[in-house]
Amino acid sequence: MTLEVQNLHVRTEDREILHGVDLVIRKGETHALMGPNGSGKSTLANTLMGNPTYEVTEGKIILNGEDLTEAGPDERARAGLFMAFQYPATIPGVSVANFLRMAVNAGRDEPIKVKEFGAMLKGHMELLKIDRAFTSRYLNEGFSGGEKKRAEILQLAMLQPDFAVLDETDSGLDIDALRIVSEGVNAMRGDERGFLIITHYTRILSYVRPEFVHILLDGRIVREGGAELADELEEKGYEFVREEVAASGA
Amino acid sequence: MAPEFVESRRRAALEVYESQDVPTWRRSGFWTTSLRGLDIDTLEPKRYEPGLPELDLGDDEHSALIVQRGANVVHSDLNDDQIVVMPLEQAVEEHPELVAEYFGKRLPIEDDKFAAGTAAFWSGGVFIHVPKNVRVEKPIQVVWLIDEPGTVQWAHTLVVVGEHAEVRIREFFLGGDFEGQALHSGAFELYAESGAQVDLAHYQDWGRGDVYDLSTRRVDVGRDARVKWVPIHLGGHLTKQTLDIITAQPGSDMRHTGMYFTERDELLDLFTTDKHEAGHTTGDTVWKGALTGESRASYEGLIHILPGAPEVDTYLQTHQMLLSPKAKGDAIPSLIVEVDNVKASHGGTVGELDPEQIFYMMTRGISRAEAVRVLVEGYFEEVIMRLDDPGLEELVRRRISEKLAGAEDQVREFIGERAEGR
Repeated sequence: MTLEVQNLHVRTEDREILHGVDLVIRKGETHALMGPNGSGKSTLANTLMGNPTYEVTEGKIILNGEDLTEAGPDERARAGLFMAFQYPATIPGVSVANFLRMAVNAGRDEPIKVKEFGAMLKGHMELLKIDRAFTSRYLNEGFSGGEKKRAEILQLAMLQPDFAVLDETDSGLDIDALRIVSEGVNAMRGDERGFLIITHYTRILSYVRPEFVHILLDGRIVREGGAELADELEEKGYEFVREEVAASGA
Repeated sequence: MAPEFVESRRRAALEVYESQDVPTWRRSGFWTTSLRGLDIDTLEPKRYEPGLPELDLGDDEHSALIVQRGANVVHSDLNDDQIVVMPLEQAVEEHPELVAEYFGKRLPIEDDKFAAGTAAFWSGGVFIHVPKNVRVEKPIQVVWLIDEPGTVQWAHTLVVVGEHAEVRIREFFLGGDFEGQALHSGAFELYAESGAQVDLAHYQDWGRGDVYDLSTRRVDVGRDARVKWVPIHLGGHLTKQTLDIITAQPGSDMRHTGMYFTERDELLDLFTTDKHEAGHTTGDTVWKGALTGESRASYEGLIHILPGAPEVDTYLQTHQMLLSPKAKGDAIPSLIVEVDNVKASHGGTVGELDPEQIFYMMTRGISRAEAVRVLVEGYFEEVIMRLDDPGLEELVRRRISEKLAGAEDQVREFIGERAEGR
């Protein structure tokens, strides 16, 4: 079971942003995708989920053997793909609990039983140290940065996807919040799930250790390696990678 | 013959009605409300045999229910002997002094041709009196029904809520899916005496017939009284209404929260005033609308603070959401303040559904149609919750959901165009 990105070219109205990205994530693996601002990280995340703002001009997205390149975001979600947003939208008038129930039921034939849903929600909220009162608030309305990220991870936990993309989940979190969120992610890791952690910085990777690291620069993956690549990046910075790529004439 | 105070008002109003032309309302910009399409001479005040028609009013329980179909009251029942709920025709005979004290006090016949027409021709009508210190548990329900084309309904409702009385009143305007024209020309006046607590809702759903609704509704809030008013507009071929709430005595407080959902070729023209005649009064007005089809909707909300009304604290906000490329609307908040030392603010937005919100919801497996439905319902939820009445809330939610299902294709097309156009 894999999430496969093949030679992906993506453009917005003005220009091409991704110039042929290849990536294979197997279940049970955690990958980190790192890159400086403007390298195309969020474009990749949004394209994986089918954001209509981005157009795929070449290449494919394949999930568990199924070509999802042309599929709508809801089909991708039901096929087992999830993204935790960097800037999640506010949904006024819809409580966290109601939203979660709707999302959970969207992936099932029969609606979840009230008791089962309640027990599941309670368990995940305890793990993420989320207060009970939180679930009756409108989703993301007036949430702090940390609350938004926790709400994203809570959705991840409730939806149990095959593959999860975390788009800059670490940005804007203080150390305590980062630790809680990371513990939440770690609790979700296992043989039945793959992760793609998108980040500018290395700090989340010291809590959630990846097996594979990819460096995205100007819309291309320029270096790949194990967790040690993140450590190297921490030490030397993106400029070093850029110079190295330039020197190799790529 | 009705008492002289009724007859003389009818005569004076008839003169005004006959001297005026059918009006056309124009405002700055593109807005015109015209009655060109209305063939008033073909309409007649149809009368019906008594009987309770089948109705869906959300709540099963009531302290009183009175139903006017066409030109006459066809049903009235009362389960609370502390209050008076009867046809206004009957009340002017049985309670002439009480009616005379309030009747038309806030409804001048000169307002316009149709206000005069209503004052001249009203029949049946509704009178509600909740005496001093009486607390009514279950709602009083009033229904105005037009279920046949060719009908004109000249309507008048008078409500008097005595000192420190407490009541919930729901007035319904219901039509059928008939072919042809009808006119409801309505007058509503409510007086909340000192310390009264009134929870008032208007629910309009005229259906698919070509019902024209030209109405004036005024609510007068007395000393330390409180009125919560929730008008819900869910349909009508052409609706031109003036809704005014007047905080008339110190300490009076009002909350006015309304909504509209227009579709097909409907036209809605609403003008509301939050009028402060006395100082130390408070107000809070919120109106939200959504437009589909080729409908047009204009909401203008005015805060008017009169000289001699200091220490007023009031707020008005209006939002409008376009759900179709062919719908047109405006939402205009305005402010006239004729005294110093008040707190008054207003704001307005006209917008569309946010494609980012729709994308977000879809990434959770929710279909586009479901996402749109949830977002529009969420948008209206602030208003619906103010009803504070589970049965009626459910009815409103269900009707919005049905209307959205009917508009699904155009909404999808609209949202799709916007997403690609960015």
